[in-house]
Order: sequence, then C-alpha cells, then structure tokens
Amino acid sequence: MEFIAFVIAAAVAYQALKGYRLSKERTLLYLHFSFVLIGAGLLVDGLSSIVVLLSQFHRGFVVLYALGYTINFIAQLIAYGLLVFAYLQQTRNISAQFAATAVVSALFFERNAFAELILIFLLVYITAHTAMNYSVSKATNSMLVFGAFASLTIAHFFFLMFILVPIFFPLAHIAQLLGFLLLLGMLLRVNQPS
Amino acid sequence: MIPGEPGSSTKPVSKYRSQFRIYVDVMQVIQREKNQAKPTRILYGANLSHDRLIKYLEELKSLGVIQESGTEDKVYSLTQKGIEFMNNFKKVESFASAFGFRI
Repeated sequence: MEFIAFVIAAAVAYQALKGYRLSKERTLLYLHFSFVLIGAGLLVDGLSSIVVLLSQFHRGFVVLYALGYTINFIAQLIAYGLLVFAYLQQTRNISAQFAATAVVSALFFERNAFAELILIFLLVYITAHTAMNYSVSKATNSMLVFGAFASLTIAHFFFLMFILVPIFFPLAHIAQLLGFLLLLGMLLRVNQPS
Repeated sequence: MIPGEPGSSTKPVSKYRSQFRIYVDVMQVIQREKNQAKPTRILYGANLSHDRLIKYLEELKSLGVIQESGTEDKVYSLTQKGIEFMNNFKKVESFASAFGFRI
C-alpha cells in the first residue's frame, strides 16, 4: 500500500513542479516539496517494513522498522507543515514565521500520541482549507482533493487509535490508500486531453 | 517557458497581478476572440492601459507566443507555441485550483 501511495505522491510532486516551472508560483513549489517528502517518507516506511518481514521479525531488524516509521513521521510532519505554510502564505492572515516555528517545535517531540495529534492538527487545517475551497468552487477536482485530505486525516486518527485497538491499523492503511487514490483521480482528470 | 514575476510578501494578494498573470490574461483574450483579437479588445479584456498593452504585446511577440498581422488594423493571434502554452497553463491552473491555490 505504501508503494502505491509513494508512486501517487511522486506523480503529484511532479505535476506541482511542472506547474512551478510554468508559472513560477511559489505555492506550487511548496506543494512539490511537500509531496516529495510525503513520498520519500512512505518509501522509507515501506522498505523498512519489507526488510522486517523478510527477516522474519528478527529483533535487530525490528529497530529498523521503528526507524522507518520515525523517518516517515518526521517527513510527513514537515510536509504537512509546509502545506499549511503554503496556505498561510496565500491567505497571509497570520504570521508565516509563527507557523514555521510551530512546525520546527513539533519536530522535537518523539513518536507518541501527542506528536501524532500535531500531525492530525495540521491535516485538519489542510482539510478545512480544501473543504472551503470546494464549497466555493464546487469543482470535482477540488472535491477529490478535499476527500483525499479528509481520508488522510481519518487515516492518522486511526493510526492514533491503533495504539489502543489493533484493528485500527489495517483501517488506517485503507484510509491512507483511499486518500492517495483520490489524488490520483484528480491528477488523471487534470491531465485528460481536452 | 514564460518567466513569472515572484510576488512580494507585503502586497495584498487580491490587488496584485503578476507579469505572468497579465501575459496569461492577454493570451486568454486572444483565445476568446477566436484567435483573432484587435488591440482594443485586448486592452479592455485584459484591463490594461494603452502603454502597458503595447509593452506586453511586444514582450509576448518576442517570446514567440503571439503574432501580429494586418497593416492598418492590427490583429493578434496565438502561435502554435502560444496555443501549447495555454493548454499547459489550463492544466496547471486546474491542478493548483484543486488545492485552492491561485496562479
């Protein structure tokens, strides 16, 4: 599932880079780096999981899994922080430096429920922004992006709940995959021949 | 590729129109006029003063995305490069607006 999500994240990053090259719009550059980080994090997490599975959960390799998860977590934290920063740059309703400081501060937390909550907080902000965008534009592509971030928020909520109830783990992965598939749908619609 | 003008962080977004956006607005007017637009139509359509219109038309011509025809009554049309640029721009605009970003 991580590898499918990685490919879709890379495709979104590529599309954002193409857009930046054409328009020199900085928000598209932030979007590009954001999805590069999301993709890289997913790739590292996926690879570390495969190594652990191949090692048949050898104790030495289980540490690798934790490392992969942590790298993925930090990558996502920076990525979503960057997206929030991009939205703040556009609206400019609060100081962008404040947002950057908040994201950097969040990096000092180790993997725990509180740090996961910061990630959910960032995703809720992005989801709210994409929901407002959809409510204004009523465009299908905006709805797909809103659906994608809503799914990713739910996925992270399930990852948080997984600490308490194991059944949430597969549900979180399904929600995450659904989020990336919705982004793929948007990409295909954008690039369909006119 | 048409160069864009990076926005200043101090100027309000709603009032600021980048050089890139003006290029696109001019080209959109030409496209709307079935690829045969007179300067007056572009002037009103892209909301430009006469001096700025001349400046931007010259720049777009030098970039090879529009061409001028006619001797007395000048008419502007998009070149193949200009048509391709507009097709790419529509995709980028659609992608950016899906995320709620303005170009």
